[in-house]
Amino acid sequence: MKAAAFDYVKPTSIAHVLSLLQEYGDDARLLAGGQTLMATLNMRLSEPQLVVDITAIESLRGIRVQGSMLRIGALVTHTEIENSELVARYAPLLQAAAPHIAHRAIRNRGTWGGSIAYADPAAEWPTCLLALGGTVIAHGPQGERRIEADEFFTGLYATALRPDELLTSCEIPVAQTNHWFGFSELARRHGDYAIVGVAATAQREGSALNGLRIVLLGVDSTPLRARLTEAMLQGKALDASLLTLAVASLREEIDPLPDLTNTPATKRHLAGVLLQRMFAAVSAS
Amino acid sequence: MELTGDILIGAPRQKVWEGLNDPEILMRCIPGCEGMEATSPTERTARVAVKVGPVRARFVGHIRMEDIRPGEGCLLRFEGSGGAAGMAKGQSNVELSEEAGGTRLRYTAQASIGGKLGQVGGRMIDAASKQMAAQFFTAFNEQMTGVPSQQPAAPLAQATAPPPVAANAMAMAPPTATPHQPPPKPMGESVRVLWFFLGALSTAFGVWIASALTS
Repeated sequence: MKAAAFDYVKPTSIAHVLSLLQEYGDDARLLAGGQTLMATLNMRLSEPQLVVDITAIESLRGIRVQGSMLRIGALVTHTEIENSELVARYAPLLQAAAPHIAHRAIRNRGTWGGSIAYADPAAEWPTCLLALGGTVIAHGPQGERRIEADEFFTGLYATALRPDELLTSCEIPVAQTNHWFGFSELARRHGDYAIVGVAATAQREGSALNGLRIVLLGVDSTPLRARLTEAMLQGKALDASLLTLAVASLREEIDPLPDLTNTPATKRHLAGVLLQRMFAAVSAS
Repeated sequence: MELTGDILIGAPRQKVWEGLNDPEILMRCIPGCEGMEATSPTERTARVAVKVGPVRARFVGHIRMEDIRPGEGCLLRFEGSGGAAGMAKGQSNVELSEEAGGTRLRYTAQASIGGKLGQVGGRMIDAASKQMAAQFFTAFNEQMTGVPSQQPAAPLAQATAPPPVAANAMAMAPPTATPHQPPPKPMGESVRVLWFFLGALSTAFGVWIASALTS
């Protein structure tokens, strides 16, 4: 398989990328890690006129802490997140989720920004960003724009990012001492896209969880917050009877989309299983 | 994959039926539709550009209408090809019924997808179809409630139909279509013309299917 002919540019500044996006519009595609784009080009599912390689822009790299925020650059790879001590300390959910992303070769090339901008509803990073209450930072002709994760994912592979904007980094509030998180997913084989997955964060006080955010992947056309179930568990002491109610609430609340091998009923059941496992561990510890 | 759904459209049933038979309206409602032409009274060819996630592909779809019940519904068979990207085929059933506040449109669709699109997009086909169906019906509802009913002078012989998005692979969705165009408010002479037309149509269809079966 071979891609159709296209032009290739490797700018070294954000300004240059933005001017190319303005000039070419939908005929330009941004290339970062290439783990999705290269496959679609080679299969000729997409035939852009211009590929803009953004990997030479140094300001898009690196993980650092700024005040109470952990900043992850768009070009940070999945492997860098997996191995980062800053991530392990300030956003341990990401470290827990990283091994679930595909396989080593893909994690070495694929990028954080690519995964967020692509917004696959079964991918780990969009789900984690939403569970962590993070913020997407984009640059466009009018300068910097900040978009809350809750407003960022708008539909199937659709985001609040405008066609002339470049996602440059994300900010995640750093974990406090009472930070609690959970991540779990079910896939047919390790590294496949998950059938269903759950990411959750909260502040733990005794056996109760406050500020709970539960986000499901693989269920809807975007990462999906289970708001009714969050409200049910919010601030209450977790015990077996409450957890049973929460599992029933979650199954009631979601309306999963089927895929080629799993029916909505299967996914609904599995989401409940994941929630049960995750929160049983909280009340036991 | 299978898709079912229903939507309440704030317009009388007759108007909804006409809308589903109006290629102009359908072209405006089908996401990415670039053109459509009638190859016979019950067949349409549509060109649709699909943009879902990383996929930017153009599909050519063929739709054939069967079991046409004017004002009530029909069965659509479609197949689409997107060149190197893959192909899809399937069928969709559309039914209209009257309800307080407008017309209830119910649809079901079954489709299978092959080629690279099936390999790559299989996981997301249901979600993509559902989304495109939703876009179609939202746009269609706007057309129906915002635009005054046109009174086509009923060129009956021109059965218009719709080439739904369905035709293409990633987007199997909207069962848009429906066939043939009953005059808006059939009266007197036009009713007779309509029935004559329907008779001719069903006869032609019978002959066609017989030849298809024997060949």
